[in-house]
Amino acid sequence: MPLRSINLPGIGTKYELETEKQDTIAVFFLKSGNIQMYTLQHGCQTPSVAELSPPEARRLGSILTGAIMEADRESVEFAFSALSDLRITIHTYLVGKTIAGKSLEDLRIRAKTGVTIIAVSRGDKNIINPAADFELHEGDTLVAIGESDQLRRFERDIMVT
Amino acid sequence: MQGIVLALLVCLLLALITKRYALPTIPFYIIAGLVLGTSGLKLVGGDEISAFLTHLGLLFLLFFLGLEIKPDRIWKNQSAILSSGLIDLNINVVIGFLAAYALGFPLVDALIVAAAFFISSTAMAVSSLIENRKLLMRESETIVWLMVFEDIVVILILAFLGPQMDHPLAILVTTLTVLAVLYAVIRFGKDQIIWVLKRDDELPVLLTFSVVLGISALSVYLGIPESFMVIAFGTFLGTIDPVSFEVQSRPFKDVFLVIFFVFFGITVNLFAEGISIPALIAISVIAVVSKYASGIAIGKMIHRNSHSGIEIWANTIGRGEFSIAIAALYGSAMVSSAIAFMVIVTSIIGAFVAKYSGKIGKILIRPEPHVQEKAAEK
Repeated sequence: MPLRSINLPGIGTKYELETEKQDTIAVFFLKSGNIQMYTLQHGCQTPSVAELSPPEARRLGSILTGAIMEADRESVEFAFSALSDLRITIHTYLVGKTIAGKSLEDLRIRAKTGVTIIAVSRGDKNIINPAADFELHEGDTLVAIGESDQLRRFERDIMVT
Repeated sequence: MQGIVLALLVCLLLALITKRYALPTIPFYIIAGLVLGTSGLKLVGGDEISAFLTHLGLLFLLFFLGLEIKPDRIWKNQSAILSSGLIDLNINVVIGFLAAYALGFPLVDALIVAAAFFISSTAMAVSSLIENRKLLMRESETIVWLMVFEDIVVILILAFLGPQMDHPLAILVTTLTVLAVLYAVIRFGKDQIIWVLKRDDELPVLLTFSVVLGISALSVYLGIPESFMVIAFGTFLGTIDPVSFEVQSRPFKDVFLVIFFVFFGITVNLFAEGISIPALIAISVIAVVSKYASGIAIGKMIHRNSHSGIEIWANTIGRGEFSIAIAALYGSAMVSSAIAFMVIVTSIIGAFVAKYSGKIGKILIRPEPHVQEKAAEK
């Protein structure tokens, strides 16, 4: 899986990857800020191209890393090697239609999954340590903390039911 | 003043239309200038204000070119840049010079026309690769390096253009001394410059605007090549923070460059003495054909394939901003009209060929047997 990156003056940065099945994928981070993604099937002459805005590209990125559709932006994992390898992950999620209008208490997030919601971002406001009766709106971003297993359960049981 | 406003409004309208159809804007600004100015309706003429604004356009174009030049990157890719660049240079300068000389240009004028004839538009090549979604092509890298090579040649040409009063050696010594001082100032003042650029008040933009004008004024005062100095200064600043200088100078470049193009068109006299319309058409057609020759030669040498040559040709036909800059700095009426005409014709044909290069390639070149076999194998 050779990955090649090159800086093209005037255009931007190119990343090119050849898969095991010899298909080619190239991603160009253009100077305009947009991203062009080319995929070329092995043996084909003309590639297919999609042009993405940065938020679209991040979304595609989180889909490819295995996060579910509703998951947006990246997660961070902290490992404390001194504390017998304690690993804590912080992940952000976008509130969809399914859970909009419910409060944290209604959803019983902590009891069902062990995950704690440590902050909610709504528009340009951030609510740190939201109370149990805090009601979620569609489009809010949740900041959830937990072990990666717990977060996976949270994604499965709360975000996509 | 009213003339500038009229010209700008026409350009705004043209920009709205051309951007909608993803066409290059430069030829249309020049056409607008030709229609409004000396060669056409004579509604707008150049005055002191327009001369100053067009000068700003040229300065910011050159400053931007300087910011884009990364000496270490060029050094690292020198073989890629030189191999294709030299073919491009040899073929086009020779053909351009012979064509211009045969059409009746005096020797020096013919050399200037040959230089403008050789330099393709970097802006058009880059936007055509992106707009036509051709970045994945192997040829697109070749084209990008070709543009880098041409940019370097532009700098060398500009260093020799413009009024020079002193002895060449004296100019060289002064230029090198000033460059060394500037470099030292930028090196030692790096932290202060970064501090200014990080601010969100008027300081970063004021700094950018005044240093560009300052270098220009200093060069004129000392009698050293102004264009070259502005480019070199851009390259020096590019080593500190190219992105923020680009962000700060882009609005100046965008507006003043439009004024530069339209007023270039306004002041050009297409019916200048010494050149006829058939001669203008001839040199423009030769300009398209000549890049075909160099494109095919580069394609065959680097990609071992004539079809690659078609793609290289398609994206390098358009002459643009730097050809106009050379004409504007040289300032002969006959040369300016030839270059204006050539830029208009080549950039419009170039945009069309780049869009339909696949189909055009099939018409011009029959698929080579071994290429077909290879495709079949796959």
